[in-house]
Amino acid sequence: MDISYFIFLSSGLFLGWSLGANDAANVFGTAVGTKMVRFKTAAAIASLFVIIGAVFAGAGASRTLDELGSINTLPGAFMVALSAALAVYMMVNSSIPVSTTQAIVGSIVGWNFYSGHKTDMGILTQIISTWIICPILAGCIAISLYLLIKCFIKRSKIHLIRQDLYTRLGLIAACAFGAFALGANNIANVMGVFVESAPFHPITISRITFNSTQILFFIGGLAISSGIFTYSRKIIKTIGKGVMSMSPMIAWIVVISQSIVLFIFASQGLKTLLTQYNLPSLPLVPVSSSQAVIGAIIGIGIAKGGRGIHWEILGKIALGWITTPLISALICFISLFFLENVFNLVVYH
Amino acid sequence: MFHIKFSMFSRTKSLENKIDLFHDKIIDAAMTFKKAIRVFLAEQRSDEYKKLSKQIKQIEHDADSLRRDIENNLYAQNLIPDLRADVLELVENIDKIINRFDEVAYKFYIERPDFPAEYHMRMIELCEQVSDCAENMAIASRAFFRDFSTVRDFSQKVYFIEHESDLTSGRMKEAIFDSDMPLANKLQLSSLISEVADIADIAEDCVDELLIFTIKRDI
Repeated sequence: MDISYFIFLSSGLFLGWSLGANDAANVFGTAVGTKMVRFKTAAAIASLFVIIGAVFAGAGASRTLDELGSINTLPGAFMVALSAALAVYMMVNSSIPVSTTQAIVGSIVGWNFYSGHKTDMGILTQIISTWIICPILAGCIAISLYLLIKCFIKRSKIHLIRQDLYTRLGLIAACAFGAFALGANNIANVMGVFVESAPFHPITISRITFNSTQILFFIGGLAISSGIFTYSRKIIKTIGKGVMSMSPMIAWIVVISQSIVLFIFASQGLKTLLTQYNLPSLPLVPVSSSQAVIGAIIGIGIAKGGRGIHWEILGKIALGWITTPLISALICFISLFFLENVFNLVVYH
Repeated sequence: MFHIKFSMFSRTKSLENKIDLFHDKIIDAAMTFKKAIRVFLAEQRSDEYKKLSKQIKQIEHDADSLRRDIENNLYAQNLIPDLRADVLELVENIDKIINRFDEVAYKFYIERPDFPAEYHMRMIELCEQVSDCAENMAIASRAFFRDFSTVRDFSQKVYFIEHESDLTSGRMKEAIFDSDMPLANKLQLSSLISEVADIADIAEDCVDELLIFTIKRDI
């Protein structure tokens, strides 16, 4: 296997690491922040399930990105991933709730522009519509869960101490489910552009055969895990003030709402099931966990009567929908020019 | 894994039981106190009174050890991190009421106050009121753990009874100071009446805090 593949893959791994650091905080930050689950426990569970989600359920969302733009050379894929990572970095510095999806979509469109490939407007519209649906859906799920649980607690008369135990177990389960959904939904952002050029041969372990894409996604999952262990604690501490004002039960609702949204946009099985029964299904697209979390928090705020909601944050999300892909596309377009003309690398076929 | 789960559930169950037992103690203390004062008014420092006074001391002692257990478990197992401070405060407050029952019963034993017969009925009424106050406080506190929507109902009862006890103690003091008793007796009885009435005041303070904790308890 060519060592240069891993050099080019490094930008994707970097993106994976930053995804692990940033987005894992959305999955278990509230559980750790409210002191219900220890960081090490949460990080170990999240790391394991992020890899399982990426390897076994990551293909669906990846296919949609592939339909948007099939990056067919390694240097091209390297620059697409790097541009997305740089755009994410810039957005994080501007305190805008950022999405790696929006960055990678912008980069792919930038690559399409540069290489002269036609951008499928149908797919692009579908992807953009999910950015708007994602926080709204998370908010609706959070409202429903909040009202349901409030009613359940009132009727069931569970002892406070037992409720604490159930919440704790629920947070651990939500952490596992959230990490699985994050791996399944967001691995496409990290490794999707490298699928076309993946050089791996299928491996069979205990009668389970892992194809080239799954091996690639496993490596991406490891990068996400390293982000979880090395940097997510700092992110959780940074957002700690906001998290601390949340009760553990609200924290659970936020995490589970976000996880359900990510799962809906990643599960091929669920999509097939809904289609079988002629029910409307959502496209398999990587969505932003940060924006899903914000949607869920605002949803709970509305359910509580709408007091204390920072509506300006919605403006920031909308700003992110426009600026992140634009910046990412621009960086990608300019960088591809340099890569091709200064370093003489083939960035498209 | 199953062992861990089992141990988590059993530890939770054990703590739930301790909290329930702790609430039982305040009811026990209130009932025994009521009975003890009746006996004292009828028989002064009799053997029966000594027995009841000892019983209150034992209840206070058991409540103290339960309180320590509850506090240790809450910290050691890192339970209810968001409400732990409130629960600890609540447990401490309940313990203060039980302590006060013990202190007042012991004071009657030590000072042997001479309550003229015409004040017996009012004294019994006052003791029943403060006991009811403490019992309703215990029920409100128990509801905080299981069915917090009813905390308000029981708190309202505490407020009502506490006001009644204030009126009773005031009327008693007025009557005592209007009487021909020596001033030393008047002061002694007045001080004891204040101490008994204070139990209802402490219960009222507990309920004030409990209502705030209940707002936080709602998700």
